[in-house]
Amino acid sequence: MQSLLRRCLPICMLGLVVLFSQRVSSQQKNVINGKFLSAPFETFIKTVESQTNFRFFYKSSEADSIKVTLDADEMPVRTALDKVFANTSFRFSFDESNRVFITRLYQIHTALPEGYFEQRAVNVQQNNPAVAMPLEKSRKKEVLTASLENKLYEVGSPDSKSKQAKPVLSGYVRDAKNGEALSNATVYVDTPAVAVLTDQFGHFSLTLPKGRHTINISSIGMKNTVRQVLLQSDGALNIELVDNIVSLKAVTVTGEKKSNVRGLQMGVEKINIKTIKQLPVVFGEADVLRAVLTLPGVVSVGESSTGFNVRGGSADQNLILFNDATIYNPAHLFGFFSAFNPDVIKGVELYKSAIPERYGGRLSSVLDVTSRSGNSKKLSGMGGIGPLTSKLTIEGPIVKDKTSFIAGGRTTYSNWLFKTIPNSDYRNSKASFYDVNLHINHTIDGNNSLYLSGYLSRDRFKLNSDTTYGYGNRNLNIKWKHNFNSKLYGLLTAAFDHYDYSVEGNHTPIDAYKLDFDINQTSLRADFHFNPNNTHAINFGLSTMLYKMRPGSFSPAGAESLVIQKTLDTEQALESALYIGDQVNITPELSVSAGIRYSLFNYLGPHDVYGYAPGIPRDKSSITDTSNFASGKMIKTYQGPEYRVSVRYSLSESSSLKLSYNTLRQYIHMLSNTTAISPTDIWKLSDPNIRPQLGEQISLGFYKNFGTTNVIETSLEIYYKRLRNYLDYKSGAVLLMNEHIETDVFNSSGKAYGAELMIKKPSGQINGWFSYTYSRTLLKMDDPIGGTLINKGKYYPANFDKPHSANLIFNYRISHRYSFSITGVYSTGRPITLPVAIFNFNGSQRVFYSDRNEYRIPDYMRADMSVNIEGNHKKNKLTHNSWSFGVYNLTARHNPYSVYFIQEGGSVKGYKLAVFGTAIPFLTYNFRF
Amino acid sequence: MKQYCEKFVLLLTIVLLSGGACRKPYSPPAINANRNFLVVDGFVNTGAGGITTIKLSRTWNLADTLISKPESGASVSIEQENGGTFFLQHKGNGVYESNPLTLATNRRYRIVITGGGGVKYQSEYVQAKPAPPIDSISWEQPDDLKIFATAHDASGATKYYRWDFVETWEYHSFYDGWLGQKNGRIFYRDTAQKNEVYICYTTEESHDIILGSSISLSEDVIAKQPITVIPQNSVKGEQRYSMLLRQYALTENAYQYWLQLQKTSQGLGTLFDPQPSQLAGNIVNLANPDEPVIGYLSAGTVSEKRIFIHKRVLHDWVALSPGEACNIQFTSQDPNDPLRWPWPDTSFSPFYFITGGGLAVIKTSCVDCMRRGGTNQQPSFW
Repeated sequence: MQSLLRRCLPICMLGLVVLFSQRVSSQQKNVINGKFLSAPFETFIKTVESQTNFRFFYKSSEADSIKVTLDADEMPVRTALDKVFANTSFRFSFDESNRVFITRLYQIHTALPEGYFEQRAVNVQQNNPAVAMPLEKSRKKEVLTASLENKLYEVGSPDSKSKQAKPVLSGYVRDAKNGEALSNATVYVDTPAVAVLTDQFGHFSLTLPKGRHTINISSIGMKNTVRQVLLQSDGALNIELVDNIVSLKAVTVTGEKKSNVRGLQMGVEKINIKTIKQLPVVFGEADVLRAVLTLPGVVSVGESSTGFNVRGGSADQNLILFNDATIYNPAHLFGFFSAFNPDVIKGVELYKSAIPERYGGRLSSVLDVTSRSGNSKKLSGMGGIGPLTSKLTIEGPIVKDKTSFIAGGRTTYSNWLFKTIPNSDYRNSKASFYDVNLHINHTIDGNNSLYLSGYLSRDRFKLNSDTTYGYGNRNLNIKWKHNFNSKLYGLLTAAFDHYDYSVEGNHTPIDAYKLDFDINQTSLRADFHFNPNNTHAINFGLSTMLYKMRPGSFSPAGAESLVIQKTLDTEQALESALYIGDQVNITPELSVSAGIRYSLFNYLGPHDVYGYAPGIPRDKSSITDTSNFASGKMIKTYQGPEYRVSVRYSLSESSSLKLSYNTLRQYIHMLSNTTAISPTDIWKLSDPNIRPQLGEQISLGFYKNFGTTNVIETSLEIYYKRLRNYLDYKSGAVLLMNEHIETDVFNSSGKAYGAELMIKKPSGQINGWFSYTYSRTLLKMDDPIGGTLINKGKYYPANFDKPHSANLIFNYRISHRYSFSITGVYSTGRPITLPVAIFNFNGSQRVFYSDRNEYRIPDYMRADMSVNIEGNHKKNKLTHNSWSFGVYNLTARHNPYSVYFIQEGGSVKGYKLAVFGTAIPFLTYNFRF
Repeated sequence: MKQYCEKFVLLLTIVLLSGGACRKPYSPPAINANRNFLVVDGFVNTGAGGITTIKLSRTWNLADTLISKPESGASVSIEQENGGTFFLQHKGNGVYESNPLTLATNRRYRIVITGGGGVKYQSEYVQAKPAPPIDSISWEQPDDLKIFATAHDASGATKYYRWDFVETWEYHSFYDGWLGQKNGRIFYRDTAQKNEVYICYTTEESHDIILGSSISLSEDVIAKQPITVIPQNSVKGEQRYSMLLRQYALTENAYQYWLQLQKTSQGLGTLFDPQPSQLAGNIVNLANPDEPVIGYLSAGTVSEKRIFIHKRVLHDWVALSPGEACNIQFTSQDPNDPLRWPWPDTSFSPFYFITGGGLAVIKTSCVDCMRRGGTNQQPSFW
């Protein structure tokens, strides 16, 4: 008996209760008689046990110190123990089977929590040696009610030959309802203090000492849970979490708290779809990009430009990934909707400063959008009907618990809307789009899974003109995930990405034209993740991607057109990379992530390359020769290392300091013609005449959570960036259909700096956030072969330089069914080069322009309001409905979509076009089945 | 579900009525400010007996509908480095001309302009750069007539070239104008008088900026620099065409300036128009160096060459058909006074008398070439 106690009591000291299924005598006798004078405790207990039916359990080594002095005459045992233990640190408790537990410091609770017996039955059936319950802190009591939490799972085999002192526990965290992988769930153990986040597949791996552990799991929007694990050797444990229906936000705090202050990543913003869906957005359609635009450090170029700028980077410096597929144009309908259907999205992550080494090819940021995997348990669907768009998503198992799919589609019927608007400016406008998503998951076996993702989108629009714009994305990729062992897994991805755009002009049938452009990317990559122990998490891999870009084809449209066909040569290039990075937890307070990526870019034939006279401005007349390169020939190679380092130091439980340094390289460039009514983008690969862009960023962040349960999160980050070879256009550049674009662009150098402040209350009846960003991006023309200096060679603001931007998101949850939200957005207007005068020179009239980006278009300001009404909360209805209504652009401000100048009646007139220049009420109906 | 949709349509109507876009005039203060910048167009001619011509004008605001805004009342002078000032006279319309001068070609020159309000502008000193001779002017057909210039500088000093030209062409009336009308009377012309309204000449200055460079070549040679393209069947090639080509040598900076000016948009707002450009010349307002001044002063000699192209050597060049504009109309004559002009519209002319009575009339522009903009004075070089 005592040896058994000796084995179990250390666990009691950890705050756990030990139970035995021992039969006890039914005899009732609970008083004692006798005199004790400094008697050893053991003697006293033996006397009591002989006189009564009580059995005592205690640790004899601790009880040695107790000397009992007591005069008992028919004294109840309880009274006797009270006297014996008065003024000591010992506690005791009785159970129903007349067992008495004597412990130090903590009293053992012998009354079982509600619902316990059900669980106990399971345990008995499974013949588990023991069941443990957490006891540590009263606020954790609610955890006890979750049934499976009290089960002790034995992982690995005790007689395993391996002599591992620290086996690895790995597994997946999934949603119990639909089997969907939960990424970014925190899996942690308090002693030893170890915390990991699950990856995009919901996978985690933890290195722990052999023995018993309480594993805590928390994930945003899911109920927190714990698992009792007896870890014998390496093994797997999958955990299913339950949706937190009752108090959606209560758990979010804990989940976010851990990742906010503890996470190594700095400058990373994560938003899950539930948060996105709470924001009021135009026409009630939840929108991923719009949510991203409310984050600090992110600003939109204009209300409806296709892109966003992160920390003073240009729109093409963002790598936008949708299930790892590159999306070149993430917007629909002049940017009012993002390309991502909210019903198939799981969440987004935006990396602003510490960009993981596995990403590359863009200078500013990585926006990683992931879709949900289909419900693996049952067929279900959801949809929405709004004034501009309708959508439908269906998901379900193909083979239950093995293969599942999710397919979503959206389309718009806005063309008729424009026709009905009683405003002649809009009569001649058109806009439509659709997108289709498909995602299939297949589990081959415990170690192998396949993932297939497809995305297709198309947009067409015409804005009060005779020019129709169209663009589309097409992406397909397949991933194979293989677990080599519990410490190492690999991911092999093959992908094809396509983006095209076209412009059709039909001012008259004679000059009707069509301009086409496309980019194709075929890529193959292998990524590995290796967790040798809890101190290190190593990522490594390699990738290669073939670009095939058609930079322009100008052709006649219609039989009457006299336009002469002109096609620019196709461009090919290969971009490859090799990377390795390690995340090291040096002490619980200090962790470092360091990585290196080596990227290699080969510009490939067939192509004709112009040579230019060295040292003088490039111009048609300085072309010295033309070299023809055969197909597949390497024309030019650029290569170099990129460094990614970040350090996190915890100042306290609720605050931390993070520092990061990054270098990045970008081989594809975009130039935007912003002087036309509708901006048109030109993409260009680096070639012998256009060098890759290089970026370098250092940033420092301070994170602090306030409130006892971390109710308010704050962060302040500052950054400084240096840009080299940023491509800007020369004075008077012609961007479209230019065979030698290098004569019209120059490499500038730039600097960007700023500060981001964020105050966030993620939970509670009133929740939301406020962010303010100060950022500047200044460019300088210091290219000796650039020709005439822009702004006399001084620094000038970049096209996307917007010093001030602020966002406010306010949500008020009136009840579980009703919520009210308001958003406010403000940013400085983008810079513009204005035509300021006209003059006559050499017999022709010409326009005189201000300095480059000397002026700014009006500031952008907008407030939206929305009310969301959930249907009733009966869980098993056929369909679940929700309504949202609100007003977009509450103040009816005319935020300009574009500012442009045209010649009209002998003079030059400026116009600003606001697509939604008024307050727009909306109503959307969403359903789920 | 059905009932939801009905509600939904109702609410949509509200969206439609209130929704809308708008295009509003955009004219920030930066545009409306009075941008009265000085524009200087011209160069210092250092050729023997050369006349220097400087045109001064001002910029005007975007909203104004002007063709030009000449600057008169200024005082303009050429200053030679280390001595020598030569004043220019205002010839009207913002054109200032010097007397025939022979300026040393190895010196540096600048211009000094004192505007009406006493504001003083001054250029940098620029080195005079002699222009090498034009070797030849050639042309090519089929279809459009393309004209090229070829030049070289054996010393290799020129590198940067600019051209402009004056073109003159002879053209004829669509029909012989044997009859005319004046003061309500019809009159006859003899052959010499008929030819005065039948053969005309038009002279025009070029408007385009034509630049060339031999910088990428191992020798300072300009081979077949495109000068202009005359569309097939244009009136310019109808009878005889002549071009006086002028060649200038530029410094590198001047060349870059002209290149910029060439790109400075003449059109804007459409997809294919060039991006905004900047002009940074070598003339400043001495009191306010930040004030933009448009123009880049160069100095040097001009070399000239003239060619003639006769319609005989052109292929498939069909004289322009007047079309319906020259349709003949008929009217009756006054039987008592057959030479009285009976047609109310005086933009018509008598064409011929119809045998047995009656008069054919035609638009005067069809029988009088001067009505189409030319002159009947044959140029001296013709």
